[in-house]
Amino acid sequence: MATGSIMASEERELVLTRVFDAPRDLVFKAWTDPNCVAMWWGPHRFTNPVCELDLRPGGAILIHMRGPDGTVYPMTGVFQEVVEPERIVFTSAALDDKGTPMFEVLTTVTFTEQNGKTKQTMRARVIKMTPQAAPYVAGMEQGWTQSLERLTAYVATHAKELR
Amino acid sequence: MPLAPDHLSTTLAALSDPTRRAILARLATGQATVTEIAAPFAMSMPAVSRHLKVLEHAGLITRGREAQWRPCRITAEPLKDVADWVAHYRRFWTESFDRLDDYLQDVQKKGKKHGHGKHHGE
Repeated sequence: MATGSIMASEERELVLTRVFDAPRDLVFKAWTDPNCVAMWWGPHRFTNPVCELDLRPGGAILIHMRGPDGTVYPMTGVFQEVVEPERIVFTSAALDDKGTPMFEVLTTVTFTEQNGKTKQTMRARVIKMTPQAAPYVAGMEQGWTQSLERLTAYVATHAKELR
Repeated sequence: MPLAPDHLSTTLAALSDPTRRAILARLATGQATVTEIAAPFAMSMPAVSRHLKVLEHAGLITRGREAQWRPCRITAEPLKDVADWVAHYRRFWTESFDRLDDYLQDVQKKGKKHGHGKHHGE
């Protein structure tokens, strides 16, 4: 069974941790072998008819996620670092509900051994906005994650007036 | 009213400044005039006005039309857009990791059946 948490660490990062009851080599393989990745990537009831990983710095990531209603959501990215079996770093485009890229996210996933289990730590950071958002990039340097966390709480408590 | 993605970016940019977040936190408790908003901050009125303009441009606040008062009010719609994105993002990874967990358990069970199971001597 996995245990996990999600929290904002530094202001601009979103951090998710999980402990998997599996050896580190196996978890690393699950993240880096396209056949394995296709088995779990995406929300429940999604499949991944296309899953291509060019596992080296600069190598491309191409995943076509298919939702339960048949809609295909292409996702592209680029590996920045691959350190077997402890770390992978990649950039990817964050898409909105309609599949439009909103900004680029740098994701770092590290794997550490913990009494025969594997602790996985994922850090995600917004690094680039879409062209129309470019004038605001400078302003995005910090603070977004914490803002989001706080505002999510705010919105939750003001849900009534939002409808 | 649905917001386009670049609105989300504008909202995020407006929220990236701690002073503006503090202003919003103040307005979350009720509307206030510029003077009231400026009171806790060690900055000039023009500086506060500049922050208010950014917030207004992002649609995070509205300002009254009365010339003398122009009270500021928080508007929640853009915040909902941001909250939706965070929720979407969380769900994507949380569900993916649930599936990864199941997958890892399956693979290990199969490994044991085929005589390769050397992990965890349950």
